[in-house]
Amino acid sequence: MKERTFITLTNGFKDKLFRLSKRLLVSNEEAEDATQEVLLKLWKNKSKIAEYKNVEAFAMTMTKNYCYDKLKAKETGNLKIVHSNYKDERASLQRQVEAKDSLDWVGRIMNGLPEQQRMIIQLRDIEQYNNAEIAEMLGLNETTVRVALSRGRKKIREELLKKHNYGIV
Amino acid sequence: MELSNIEKLLEKYFEGQTTISEEKELKVYFTRETVPSHLESYKDMFQYFSEESTITATKDLKLHTRKKSRYAWIGMAASIALIAGIFLTKTDQTNKKELGTYEDPEIALQETKKILNMVSQYMNEGKQELVYLKKFENTKNKFIK
Repeated sequence: MKERTFITLTNGFKDKLFRLSKRLLVSNEEAEDATQEVLLKLWKNKSKIAEYKNVEAFAMTMTKNYCYDKLKAKETGNLKIVHSNYKDERASLQRQVEAKDSLDWVGRIMNGLPEQQRMIIQLRDIEQYNNAEIAEMLGLNETTVRVALSRGRKKIREELLKKHNYGIV
Repeated sequence: MELSNIEKLLEKYFEGQTTISEEKELKVYFTRETVPSHLESYKDMFQYFSEESTITATKDLKLHTRKKSRYAWIGMAASIALIAGIFLTKTDQTNKKELGTYEDPEIALQETKKILNMVSQYMNEGKQELVYLKKFENTKNKFIK
């Protein structure tokens, strides 16, 4: 495979990889790095590309795994200060700051969800993959995907209604 | 679309039962200008989703693996050439050393004699110069008896 064909092939889903890694890693730079890393890995294995049924889904899975590794490395590399009070306080501070921009607020809620729900909502509501595709990408079964999707959406709704009813908490 | 219909769809949506096309309808509905006030908070959600899908990666992909491998090949070729060169020149020298041998012992004997004669001839020539030593001997004998 030539370099150019590879680039045109991956350009079709490069942004989706970027958005998924940004959803998981949050930071823009790290997401860029993750995208590069995944595409380079794919390029190194270019001889096998023809064997894959669905390159896009495969790349998505690679991205997910890469981001999981990154998150794990971060967790072990840093001293983690886990304290529920501390966390809550930080969230409410962020709420005040972010409340002005209601769309950012949705993003904030979404990034507070567990990783799996976050990814599934990203893939379904933003990238519009169907549940079967998502199940394949994440190595889950479809029921799990549907349940996680419903839970995540409900959680977002709950948080949004809270804000809507009480204003700034 | 009717309001009751939207509310039904929303219910389905939160149970994870909607299809992709139904979700598209919801997105279209909620990205409109006016939405009833009790649905206002869903507007943010769907707007956020459609906005997020437009984010793009800014860095261009760089595939610099090719150049690296090319340099690696040049290095490998150079080192092979170097080793081969050293090896070949060494074997050449050993070949030249073997050029002075004779197969036939008769000829070998003759050649050896020739060379030995030549050596003794040179030695005799050198010895002629030693005649001067006799003069030293004579003068020495004059004084010391």
